Amino acid sequence: MAIEINDEYFEKLAQAVIDGEEEECVELVNAGLEAGVDPLEAVEKGLGRGIGKVGEDFGAGIIFLPELAMAADVMKQGTAILDERIKASGADRLSHGKVVIGTIKGDIHDIGKSVVAAVLQANGYDVIDIGIDIDVDTFLDAVKEHDADALGMSTLLTLPLMEMEKVIQRMQETGMRDNVKVIVGGCPVTQEFADEIGADAVGFDAQDAVLKLDGLLGINRPCGDA
Amino acid sequence: MKGFDGKLVGSVYPITTEECESVHAAAIRVLEQGGLRCDDERAAKMFEDAGCTLENNRELVKFPENVVMDALGQCPGSFTLHGRNDPDLDCSIGTGEVHFCTVTGRYIDDIHSGERRKATRQDAIDGTLMADALENVHGLYKPVMWLYDEEMICNSQILTTEWMKHTNKPGTWVYNTGAEHEVSDLIKMWQMAAGGEEEMRRKPHMLGHVVVNPPRVIDVHYTDWLIGFCDSGTPLSIESALMGGATGPATRAGMLVQCMAEMYALVVQSQSYKPGHPLAFCSFSPAMDMRTGLWATGTPEYGINGGGIAAMAKYHDVPIVGFGMSDSCEFDQQTAHEKALKNYNYALAGVNWIIDIGGTAGFNLVSWPEMVLENEMAAYIGEYLKGIQIDEDRLSVDTILKVGPLPGSYMKEKHTRKWFREEFFMPTLNNKEFFESWQRGHVELQEKAKQEAIGILENHQSPVAPELQQELDSYLDFCLKRDLG
Repeated sequence: MAIEINDEYFEKLAQAVIDGEEEECVELVNAGLEAGVDPLEAVEKGLGRGIGKVGEDFGAGIIFLPELAMAADVMKQGTAILDERIKASGADRLSHGKVVIGTIKGDIHDIGKSVVAAVLQANGYDVIDIGIDIDVDTFLDAVKEHDADALGMSTLLTLPLMEMEKVIQRMQETGMRDNVKVIVGGCPVTQEFADEIGADAVGFDAQDAVLKLDGLLGINRPCGDA
Repeated sequence: MKGFDGKLVGSVYPITTEECESVHAAAIRVLEQGGLRCDDERAAKMFEDAGCTLENNRELVKFPENVVMDALGQCPGSFTLHGRNDPDLDCSIGTGEVHFCTVTGRYIDDIHSGERRKATRQDAIDGTLMADALENVHGLYKPVMWLYDEEMICNSQILTTEWMKHTNKPGTWVYNTGAEHEVSDLIKMWQMAAGGEEEMRRKPHMLGHVVVNPPRVIDVHYTDWLIGFCDSGTPLSIESALMGGATGPATRAGMLVQCMAEMYALVVQSQSYKPGHPLAFCSFSPAMDMRTGLWATGTPEYGINGGGIAAMAKYHDVPIVGFGMSDSCEFDQQTAHEKALKNYNYALAGVNWIIDIGGTAGFNLVSWPEMVLENEMAAYIGEYLKGIQIDEDRLSVDTILKVGPLPGSYMKEKHTRKWFREEFFMPTLNNKEFFESWQRGHVELQEKAKQEAIGILENHQSPVAPELQQELDSYLDFCLKRDLG
């Protein structure tokens, strides 16, 4: 794919994210890199604008979760390629923060956590979704590996709830807790429970998780942006 | 208790018999070509014994059609959920009767303060007594989901103790906390309530819920329950629990195909473990709400899909039960119309045991006045199901010829006196007043329901024998000492 780096290129990149077209996005990114696109510019003017529009449209009720989730996946694929080049150049791209997210050990419910991951991503966060039935060590390893700003833990069940406390306790023991915000969520999670186990916030739904994380990480958005 | 058995029960289905054949064939293709993942050796052995093939280090089960058909052929077409020590409370499942059962919730709208708060042990007692008192509530699901004023480790045991101590009506059980002794303790308590192990096997009073993890995974915890239920003689309610667009396809037909494939797998598993064990298909296959990711249980597609599962149940001569529910976060007009439409749709499709009375918001909220109101809704549905009875006396030709033309009136006719109570519905709560009288002063429907609920809570006594109550308390003490020290 021979292309020129211009506004039309960035527009196509954004549209590939909006349309959830993974193959097209990857092709455009690779072709852009061959044509000498600045990877930071490709994220900000292309992929970032696309996911921003998706986030806005989701908030406005124009598009729905499958479209949001697919766009978030495409964004992730594209940024993964561009990130390598950005890192190699020693630069850093703009992100509201890195969030590791997963469902706690003893629970295999995936959807609520995945919805939160997609909505966070659509709102400018880098999300590392490490899956379901995640034990304490895996959470901590992921936070460390990705140098995360925040950790999100989810469950739909009651009995495994105390796994959340175990993760937070281990973070305290290992000195990780001071630098990483912890947000929890899911059906049985209440504010009292979150306070009791020492979490920083509860996300009662996906949009609430964005607002709470924004608050914890000091992200200021224009009114109505999240 | 005798359910509603009008002529319209099982008269309306969203798919034809020919379409049932297509759904069945598609579900079999899924089972033959894709199968289900199974991470539990006990379950793998059950599938192997039934004639399934195990692949990928025994973690993938594939189902030949003849295995599925053999298993379906072993399922009884009906069974009874017995009243505990009271045959008048027996509910016949699979014989053309529609029964209503309560649903559960984590929160409760407090009947006195109106405050929305977390459920407690006292609420479990109150909810059980409410259900026990109401005439169109034939059975109970957990009166509340969890007792937030008690330790979670023994929550199900405390809940079950209070439940069994305050009603003899049959019930439904679904996996609750997953605590270590949950399965064995609860079965022990149900056996006590039935009058012993053999008595419960002879007269089961609980419907035990077993679920596949969609898409297409046999769950270890539910295998624990399946074994416990089968060993104790507890009939099964088997369910896919998929969520269209998330853990199932985004078409109604596709949801139905996956539901059937997953339920067939449970039929094979249970019949392999205990041939001839009674079971019912269960409808709980909502679509995902495409904005929030929550299950959407109040929507038309949920009710229609339940009708589809009911059609498949009829096609295979297997009983059918189903969860109702509304998506509304309060008891309002939305709750009323979502429940009434869905439950009537369920009843028309012959769903034998509808689990829906008294709750809303996806197992989040219960209310006792709402239970009273929905007791009335159940009566309305039961009346609709009667349809029109045609016989010589009801055709009324002699009376029509006698009375008319004007000035004649049917009001003083013996024929009228004979039939009006049976043919015309008399609501107990709903408003039938003159408009002007109502305007001069009235009690709102919600207030009437609240007063009735308060009356029940103040006056209704548990029908359970004190000796049994003591026995249950003693066993609970044992559980608490064991788990909490």
